[in-house]
Amino acid sequence: MAQADQGGHYTGFGPEWQPAPLAPEQARRATDWVEARIDRRALLVNKDQVEDVRERMWQLEKDGEIIVHRIGERHEPVTARTLYGWEKRIPTNFLWHHKSCGQCGNIPGYPTSLLWLMNQLGTRYIDETDQTSCTAWNYHGSGIGNVVSLAAVFLRNFHQAYVSAQAQGIPAGTYYPLVHCGTSFGNYKEMRSFLMHSPQLREQVRKILAKLGRLVDGKLLIPEEVVHYSEWLHVMRERVAERRVIDCSKLRVTVHPACHVYKMVPEDVIYDDTVMDGNRVAVTTGVMQSLGAQVIDYSTWYDCCGFGFRHIIGEREFTRSFAIDRKIRVAVEEARADVMIGHDTGCITTLDKNQWIGRAVDKVYELPVMADCQFAALACGAHPYKLAQLHWHASPFEGLLEKLGIDWQKAKAEFESYLQEVAAGRVETLYDPKRAITSGPGFVALPAGDGA
Amino acid sequence: MDAVVPPQMHTPIGDPVTERAPVAYETLEAVFEDIRSHPLYDHELHGCLNCGICTATCPSAHYYDYSPREIVQLLWTENLEGIHDAMQEKIWACAQCYTCAARCPFQNSPGGLVMILREVAIKHGMQSAKDALKPFTRVLMKVISTGNQLAPNMITGDAFPDWGPNVSKVDAPLKLLRKAIPMPTLHTLDTAWEVNLKTSIELYTIWEETGVLQQLEAVDPNLYDVILDVMDEKRSEYQDWLDEQAGG
Repeated sequence: MAQADQGGHYTGFGPEWQPAPLAPEQARRATDWVEARIDRRALLVNKDQVEDVRERMWQLEKDGEIIVHRIGERHEPVTARTLYGWEKRIPTNFLWHHKSCGQCGNIPGYPTSLLWLMNQLGTRYIDETDQTSCTAWNYHGSGIGNVVSLAAVFLRNFHQAYVSAQAQGIPAGTYYPLVHCGTSFGNYKEMRSFLMHSPQLREQVRKILAKLGRLVDGKLLIPEEVVHYSEWLHVMRERVAERRVIDCSKLRVTVHPACHVYKMVPEDVIYDDTVMDGNRVAVTTGVMQSLGAQVIDYSTWYDCCGFGFRHIIGEREFTRSFAIDRKIRVAVEEARADVMIGHDTGCITTLDKNQWIGRAVDKVYELPVMADCQFAALACGAHPYKLAQLHWHASPFEGLLEKLGIDWQKAKAEFESYLQEVAAGRVETLYDPKRAITSGPGFVALPAGDGA
Repeated sequence: MDAVVPPQMHTPIGDPVTERAPVAYETLEAVFEDIRSHPLYDHELHGCLNCGICTATCPSAHYYDYSPREIVQLLWTENLEGIHDAMQEKIWACAQCYTCAARCPFQNSPGGLVMILREVAIKHGMQSAKDALKPFTRVLMKVISTGNQLAPNMITGDAFPDWGPNVSKVDAPLKLLRKAIPMPTLHTLDTAWEVNLKTSIELYTIWEETGVLQQLEAVDPNLYDVILDVMDEKRSEYQDWLDEQAGG
């Protein structure tokens, strides 16, 4: 019997673990060294031991090193509470839509539903062409990219959000960025934290943005908060619910929270004692409850969807298996769900698209999958095809629409008829297309103040 | 009888399974030095008690011979051979969900460490990186040349046969369906949204200044050449527009 097993101290840690033959003094030195490492970042995750990076941000602004893009009165902020009870101000008006490549390319009803809800609520916004994706899906999938490129892309896009209002003859800073993608949200928060901690990174990014003309008074522009659209929807949920025209009370809803929304920089995530007793991230679940649906908890709630970033492209057998076995099957068999609701691009794509192939191995599940804002728009009377664009979804949503009392066949026929109008050039849009280009080729200057 | 160590052998590294290290010690050291000197290394690794919470909660551990605990242990114990070995396949199993990071009592980020290892695998032109990224070519082409990672015309039945028979449940040409989306910026086929030409040009500067193009060249020289051509073409197009504006 190995010496390690005699005392039982190393049982279960694998054969490579052996008692270290250290003298007491050596052991003390080793322990001191380990404790010094532990002390840099606390062992226990709690409020007293996690830094609020915003304090560092305000100090850097005081020191004259950065400028903070503030959330002002014009943005009509609503305060929410994060994991440790910290306050996070969510802007609810004058928003710059930072789109998601996966949503716009693959699930276009996701952003259209969000903009439609904003139109219903009188929220002012701008949706423009001068933005790139965060490039983080590519980074997490391929490893091409690095912290400097990701941070530079982050601050370039957010600088554009800051100056975008000038194209409408209104002051810089009027529009505040609202991030659509969960991975962008997590990535940008990580980048903000890295930037706040590293003078070297700030200098590297500052030099790049100087070349691009993307500094404010020679300084980096840092957002007061990085805000995800689901946070906007959360703080607006009661106002959205006031516009509900469809009874959702009979629906059993499961929520899939996105890993990059609540596992990356978890201290910034909204929790609310009135939503699942504060045991689950509040966004999405909160709005579904406000709309009157029954949100059903399930045992693999915390699991990822299986997207995997590179797996959805190159190793889809993992993605398919995980999505079906760990999420869809559990939601159907355990929670008896009518629908699964998400708040991120990759998750909804994965869970929606990977059900059909289950038939090949007799795993036949039919669970509608859509975003919280799509469901909210439907509940408030949005057209399921023309507006919520459900025809792009692979999962069978038709039965869900029937449960909601929506005649999907009639709606589909209406949309097919509308396509003839589109073919003839009569296209309906959610906003004036001229507002989408704020500089460069195609830009048309609007009369001063036209945007405000 | 004690084993005789040949004089040409270095001090044993980690847990060698053969008498001769399969990779030159200098290479192992160079790879590890690039890992250890990564600007985020100290942010992602703080210690490890081998508790295994990370692996217990890891989606990839369900399906692959992959354990975030092992990745952290290899790095924490500076097991150079083990690290190099993990870079040949295991690091590409991670799904990047960061569940491990959210649950680690030491606030390690095994997922973040995997990204450092992937970056270094690319820097050293490892075959594992080239193989893993082959299916990613279209995404890389799209993101570096346009700033979008996905486009509507990439979602085809041929590319995703396992997604079912219908790209759309309404049978109509893709161009018409895209035009029927009520956001004007989405009336596109080649990019997820219409990207301002000026925006793409700015992005090229970021790629050049941050070494991203060198990364690409290390894993796919052909794609690198194609992307340089696209960048030249778009820059020329933008310069023409600027000249046109200046000419009134």
